[in-house]
Amino acid sequence: MRGCTHIETFFFTKSRLLAVACMLVLMLADGYAHDQVPGAPQSRPIVIRNATIHVIDGPNVEQGDVLFERGKIKAIGQALEAPKKAIEIDATGKHLYPGLIEAMTDLGLREISAVEETVDRTEYGDRNPNARSWVAVNPDSELIPVARAGGVLTVMTAPRGRFVRGQTAVINLDGWTVREMKLKAPAGLYIDWGAMHPGGSASQDQRKRREQKLAELDDLLDSVRRYQQAREARPEVTPTDVRLESMVPMVEGDLPVFVEADRQTEIESAVAYGQAQGLSIVIYGGYDAEHCAALLKRYDVPVIIASTYRLPLRRDESYDTAYTLPERLRAAGVKFAIGGEGAGSPGGAANARNLPYHAAVAVAYGLPHAEGLRAVTLSAAEILGVADRVGSISVGKDASLILADGDILETETNVIAAFIQGRAVDLGSRHKTLYEKYKLKYSRSEKQTR
Amino acid sequence: MRHTLFLALLWVALLPTVLPAQSEVAAEPIVGLRENPVAGFAFVNAEVVVAPGQMITDATVLVEGTSITAVGQQLAIPEGYQEIDCEGKRIYPGLIDAWSEIDVTVNESPPGYWNGNVTPQMRAVSSIARVPDAAKLRSQGITARLVAPKGGIVKGSSCLMLTGEESAGRSLLLEDAWQHLQLTVPRGGSRAKYPNSPMGAVALLRQSFYDAAWYEDAWNAYTATPELDRPDKNVALQALSEAIKTGTFLIDAPNERMAIRADDLAREFSLQTILRGSGREYRQLDEIVATNRPLLVPVDFPDTPDVKTADAARDVTLQELMHWELAPENPGRLVRAGVKICLTTDGLDDVGQFLKQVRVAVERGLDEDEALAAVTVVPAELLGVESEVGRIEPGMVANLTITDGNLFAETTKVAECWVAGKRFVIDGNPQTEFPELAGNWEFAVRHPSVRNMRLLLELEGSDGKLNGAVRSGESAPKPVKAKQRKKEKNKQKDIDKVAASKLRDVVQQRDRFTANFDLREIDERLPDGISQLTIITMQSDDEDATLVASLKLPGGETQNLLMVRSDDDQESDQAVVSTTKVGKQDQSEESSLATADPQGAVIDTDQPPETYSEVRFPFGAFGASSRIAGQTTVLFRNATVWTCDEAGKLENADVLIRDGLIAKIGSDIKPPADCQVIDASGKHITPGLIDCHSHMGTDGGVNESGQAVTSEVRIGDFIDNSDIQIYRQLAGGLTTSNILHGSANPIGGQNQVIKLRWSETMDGLKMKEAPQGIKFALGENVKRNQSRYPNTRMGVEQIIRDQLLAAREYQAKWRRWKNGQHDTLPPRVDLQLQALSEVQNGTRWIHCHSYRQDEIMATLDVLDEFGIQIGTLQHILEGYKVADRMAQHGAMGSSFSDWWAYKFEVFDAIPYNGALMHDRGVVVSFNSDDRELARHLNTEAAKATKYGGVPEIEALKFVTLNPAKQLRIDEYVGSLRVGKHADIVVWSGRPLSTLTRCEQTWIDGRRYFDLEGDKELQSRDRKVRARLVQKALNSKRGAKKKTPEEISEEDRWVRHDVHCAAHGSHEYDYTENLQK
Repeated sequence: MRGCTHIETFFFTKSRLLAVACMLVLMLADGYAHDQVPGAPQSRPIVIRNATIHVIDGPNVEQGDVLFERGKIKAIGQALEAPKKAIEIDATGKHLYPGLIEAMTDLGLREISAVEETVDRTEYGDRNPNARSWVAVNPDSELIPVARAGGVLTVMTAPRGRFVRGQTAVINLDGWTVREMKLKAPAGLYIDWGAMHPGGSASQDQRKRREQKLAELDDLLDSVRRYQQAREARPEVTPTDVRLESMVPMVEGDLPVFVEADRQTEIESAVAYGQAQGLSIVIYGGYDAEHCAALLKRYDVPVIIASTYRLPLRRDESYDTAYTLPERLRAAGVKFAIGGEGAGSPGGAANARNLPYHAAVAVAYGLPHAEGLRAVTLSAAEILGVADRVGSISVGKDASLILADGDILETETNVIAAFIQGRAVDLGSRHKTLYEKYKLKYSRSEKQTR
Repeated sequence: MRHTLFLALLWVALLPTVLPAQSEVAAEPIVGLRENPVAGFAFVNAEVVVAPGQMITDATVLVEGTSITAVGQQLAIPEGYQEIDCEGKRIYPGLIDAWSEIDVTVNESPPGYWNGNVTPQMRAVSSIARVPDAAKLRSQGITARLVAPKGGIVKGSSCLMLTGEESAGRSLLLEDAWQHLQLTVPRGGSRAKYPNSPMGAVALLRQSFYDAAWYEDAWNAYTATPELDRPDKNVALQALSEAIKTGTFLIDAPNERMAIRADDLAREFSLQTILRGSGREYRQLDEIVATNRPLLVPVDFPDTPDVKTADAARDVTLQELMHWELAPENPGRLVRAGVKICLTTDGLDDVGQFLKQVRVAVERGLDEDEALAAVTVVPAELLGVESEVGRIEPGMVANLTITDGNLFAETTKVAECWVAGKRFVIDGNPQTEFPELAGNWEFAVRHPSVRNMRLLLELEGSDGKLNGAVRSGESAPKPVKAKQRKKEKNKQKDIDKVAASKLRDVVQQRDRFTANFDLREIDERLPDGISQLTIITMQSDDEDATLVASLKLPGGETQNLLMVRSDDDQESDQAVVSTTKVGKQDQSEESSLATADPQGAVIDTDQPPETYSEVRFPFGAFGASSRIAGQTTVLFRNATVWTCDEAGKLENADVLIRDGLIAKIGSDIKPPADCQVIDASGKHITPGLIDCHSHMGTDGGVNESGQAVTSEVRIGDFIDNSDIQIYRQLAGGLTTSNILHGSANPIGGQNQVIKLRWSETMDGLKMKEAPQGIKFALGENVKRNQSRYPNTRMGVEQIIRDQLLAAREYQAKWRRWKNGQHDTLPPRVDLQLQALSEVQNGTRWIHCHSYRQDEIMATLDVLDEFGIQIGTLQHILEGYKVADRMAQHGAMGSSFSDWWAYKFEVFDAIPYNGALMHDRGVVVSFNSDDRELARHLNTEAAKATKYGGVPEIEALKFVTLNPAKQLRIDEYVGSLRVGKHADIVVWSGRPLSTLTRCEQTWIDGRRYFDLEGDKELQSRDRKVRARLVQKALNSKRGAKKKTPEEISEEDRWVRHDVHCAAHGSHEYDYTENLQK
């Protein structure tokens, strides 16, 4: 029963698929904690049949089929003809989604929060544009299979810290090394604009602090530009500077700058700054974003809403301010995704698996259901610059798919199969392993008592 | 009473004055020649306010030495007395400021209490010779001030000092006035030592009171039976036991809740008590009134909140805005409600602002007589010195405050302050009266070349600071009034063009004015050189003084001049001027500026009366306009009802609630008369959710981490009924919450189960039916402190076992004593062991923070040894590994649904934990331990289904019936059953669904939250906020203080368990950032 119990219970109802089931089981993990085995490259075409297909970039396909081959989605429709040797999976009554995307996390960079030695998310000092998150991602982190089992197949992993935090990467949650996991690295630079807003001090102090921090940033960007010119003009006599070097793509606007900002003034200042410096800005946090929606819309600045399980920022605000934020942004025409760690989601990376419930809260408080799904799939992919690969079930995109036994936004729903680039991935985890282990303990003792 | 006193006083006043002989007042030998000036004063022609509400006009007050000897009309003035004409003046009793504090140096030598925060033996009188800031206090009419020792929890005794400049002996009115307490930890001290939380401070107070009583008993026992062990001497306990018997306690109440808590403590120990208020009492007026305690009330009304930018305005809370508006009404509201108050300088950055602030309070509804009483007779009476100070009456200390009018009028100035017969003229300037010379004066100078030449002396400026010029008076210029200074200045230029000589070297003294000028500058025929003008003012008993002027020409010749005022309005030709006091004009202007309304609102009687904020319950946004009351009969119809009981889930069912209880559940229930019917078609109804592990709603610090065992501390002492999280969690369907002590120590403090009755009092939130409990904690958190035992799980097990043994022996000792075996000293009440005895006796339930299976096993083994059944195992993240052992003990488990990996001991935590324990027959609940997650308990419950397949009906019980069982309140709440509390949630859909929201929350049959009501509150709050922001923007006093506001008492303490690393994983906490 090792490793396969979690798939035994579902979709292989038709006897002709039994062989396929066994094969899948072999492809999947055969082990306990930290023993989840990365999926083997897709060798045969796979058709998932009769599922409710949430393509995201269009209306759902009821009782639809999806065919994928060599890691890419080939066809979507009803009663698709399967290529020879195709593995067919009957998913009647099940829901197929693109893999969920957690748009801001430190997954891979931390294991046990309180044990410093296991945490690699904050580099020394407050100017680390060159720190690259992906080089420190531990592919064997116990946290990764847990997130994956919840349907989160792709994440943007970002360093933390004060002010200029470092470079982020979009990675898939399966692979022997980070090389196979990387989807886009670097994906952008991460800056904490909140560092400019010392909490609770007088407005004058805040202005001063903000001016000072902006001046620091001005200097940095200016240095990058001059460095770039000098290096191009006379490389042999211009000594290298890894900090400045790392920022060239951002200065040229090729990569976005993720700016953590919750308050209106922070958001406005970040947008204005990005405009002035020619940076491509993405707001992370965005608590007050509705109040500057016109600005965000006009300059096409998207927002990664930092979770919905979140207390109001200010005592007088409505109890559901964070819950209604996604709907308010949608109504205002601001592009957004939902992701990240909020004050009320203890665990952060450890509980990235709860991502769909953050979207669900938004739906409970007004956001259309389809938009809720989009906020944790396609919108996230678009904002992170990986929409050509993931985020929707579209022909030509990676076959990064999750099959669920219900509405993925509902808690009771479980993910019963997942594919990353066509690879069937192991949905086992430390948690399931321990579950099985102790079920065994009790079933033995029951036998003994009988 | 005051009236009869007044009559008696008049009687005394009308008797022929009997002069006391001069007495010796000090034992000190005199060095050099003796000095014996007659120290008698007669204040005549005054309006004398002998006591609040009692004024005698045309009265005389006689003062001899340090005392008042007579008051009344037409008193004979003894020979040799200095008469002080108080025409136009009013004499008040010298004011008393019943608050100030100083650092008192610790005397190390005598044996004191084991905890350095309990120092009742500390005496302010030992560290003070003179009241600091005395001159400023006198400028406010304050003649006596209380000086209290600062720091500590039992701080020591205060003394009452005069504000004069005499020796300590003469200035000391009363030593050991009050004994001072505070219910919190002194600011600025170390947070490492016990106590480091308000909960701990209160527990320490309780223990020290018990110890003081024991100390006395022990010594009595020893004295009676010297064969017994001799108890240790302890000056602290000695002092405290005396204070309890005969003294008065002053307890700090830095917010309205603290006032009520202070009263609770005072009642518990029958202490004669006065409260030192915060200025926020109006927020819970009824409860404060009910304490029936006198209050010291500050007048440090808040500055205008910073709303200068829209962003800043957004961060200002409605609480701040409303407080800014309402705080000045606090004294008036208290007095009208019948509270005895003293107004004090407490909290004022500048005590020189005291009268100004008091006047603001008067303007905002404080009766003038009551205001006066609050600074005279009330403090005098509370201090027990009413026969010495507070009124103007023969025999009282000669403390007088002399003003130029009504003390509470905007422009009134304190002219003099007499402290024990010593005169202090306010503002430090000599009491000089200057002739009012400003204006134009004509005079003639005689000189051979011109015979008589008319000249004009133009003087401008106020008395004592005059300046001007002399010019030709041949073409008389328009007269200039002193008031028209500005115009005059412009005119000065014109004057300069005409022939004129500016005055130089101007000197004005009491009786003479001298200045120099050059006649040649006026007319070339006049002598060249500096002429010197001298004007002498001849004072007389008449109101007006006569001028005698002379001019010394450059040649040395002196001419007498006849000065004639040439002002328009001066009819008299005589050279006379009235006298005025120096600087009067300037000062009154200054004070009119200073007394501007703190809100800056221009007081205009034509305007309609201003609207003020209503006080809410609790204060600020989302507060109810009145306490949510009414036990209505309500019928919910046609809902899907999840009973969490044997009845299971009922479709299309009705629920009838009446008198706060569930009356009936079924289908097609006929609504009784006067029944509110709520159509709940398509809705789901569940019992109110119960959170078995929370730290919200308390401002007592959550953790008392100063010791490894703190079973004496109580969360229940510090319920914060104003915590906005209560309202927010109501909106998540929560109705009951177990507020637990944190996990800093193996044996922590006592928990408090509350119902989320938003708008209720602190006491009203407590769930009376819930049995007592206590927090225990195991593992990483409690062994972390390297400087104390325990440092390992081995030590944790031992300390718990040792404490339970100690509690057992404690009980035995008391049993023995109560059985009459008095062959020892009487046993001491030990609150720590008492709580543990209750655990042993089964009347207090343990809620034990636990993670790893080994510590779970060890703890259950220890408890089994003592025959104690555990209340709950909290967190219990490895409960799944030992669920069989838990079931065997009967231990219930209250867990997180899916937290893990935030520290090492939770690396084996799995979300299947709940299901595995449940499957083994353990009663399982899912709790929040988090202010946000507490709003999602319904979907947390669904995780029991997701992970391990617990059926939905059972899963919902994880947040309803099961936590009720764990808290031993399932008889009352946790399921929908006839006779249980009507705690009900109406959901928009299936309660376990993430897509569902809570629509209504009812507790005890009262609606505490619903979507519509919430919208109304928000729209109401928006309007009030908009009005107040406008008001603040229009306020003239916009600037905040330069020094940052001291962090308020309740914001000093976190609302989560800092020892729980789950929260440590956040780089920041949004709400914490806002708490300055």
